[in-house]
Amino acid sequence: MPSQKAFRYSLITLTWIPVIMTINDNVCHVAKIEGSSMRPTLNANERSISSDWVFLWKFNCKKAFNLNRDDIILFKSPMDPNKVYCKRIKGIQYDSVKTRHPYPRSVVNIPRNHVWVEGDNVFHSVDSNNFGSLSTGLVVGKAIKVIWPPSRWGADLQLSTGRQNILTTRE
Amino acid sequence: MNSTIQAWLKTGSYAVRAVCFVHIIHTYVYEFTETRGESMLPTLAASNDYVHAFKKYKDGKNCKMGDCIVAVKPSDPDHRVCKRITGMPGDVILVDPSMGTQLDRLPSDVDEIDEDENFNTYIKVPKGHVWVTGDNLSHSLDSRTYNSLPMGLIRGKIVAANDFNQPFWSGSKGNFWGFRKIGNSFVNED
Repeated sequence: MPSQKAFRYSLITLTWIPVIMTINDNVCHVAKIEGSSMRPTLNANERSISSDWVFLWKFNCKKAFNLNRDDIILFKSPMDPNKVYCKRIKGIQYDSVKTRHPYPRSVVNIPRNHVWVEGDNVFHSVDSNNFGSLSTGLVVGKAIKVIWPPSRWGADLQLSTGRQNILTTRE
Repeated sequence: MNSTIQAWLKTGSYAVRAVCFVHIIHTYVYEFTETRGESMLPTLAASNDYVHAFKKYKDGKNCKMGDCIVAVKPSDPDHRVCKRITGMPGDVILVDPSMGTQLDRLPSDVDEIDEDENFNTYIKVPKGHVWVTGDNLSHSLDSRTYNSLPMGLIRGKIVAANDFNQPFWSGSKGNFWGFRKIGNSFVNED
């Protein structure tokens, strides 16, 4: 009976959906990058209509020892939990960082299990200078590679742009 | 030989699917889990209490003042805390009259605590954050130490609890294993 077979197969497919969701939540996923805050590293071309898609590694990405300076991470915005931001880590836990304008102090010490994130496009970025250091619990994943469009394959994500030499000695 | 391998593969695939199904339910729908620690006395006991948490309140959706929530600890993502929301975005909080704030103080400054200052330390809860405290204020590590909590760290809302020290059926109270609902404790005095 073909209909019975179809039912059986759709049921089997259904049982694999939680497995795929678990992998996407905890191991790896893809994400679309919108906006200009990470230019020139991501969404490099101003004119182009298509956005970059990146491959996201999620396994153990909330652990502080896996988050290094100059990694690009995606995280839930502390200001609005429904938004996901993409920024570059500029300081890790126990670092001291020189801040920019909206932040009320000139130097900040980053607490345990927090990171300091900033966009590469310094002047068009809502980042740690607005909301302070970020708890690693909010990190969603680490951007490893650009996978789409093909013309952007091999883009070097570790290339650090943005503000340089912002680490300082502890106050 | 071949059939044994096949049987193992089949069992393994069933196990993987079942574990992932439970994980997804725990993340997005409902979780039943143990709590430990003195910070929520007398609402929750320090040990052997199990709580029912609804995950549709994840990320602080529809959470209100006075709700009991489970959240990831901001200073340690491996640990989860259970606290009560005592301040919503935009509220102005008197941090702690009994000991003041430790947020911008070094341990070496302890001698210089000015008692009057403790009554004058206010914080405005930023957008997208909540202020959380334990019900047992004298034994709780909460927003008074790690500042307001981003809503993105909230994992769910606690709606009920079981106490497995109680008998399975306590007839007089009419509940199983000390089952009790945990509601909103906020009283608006205006």
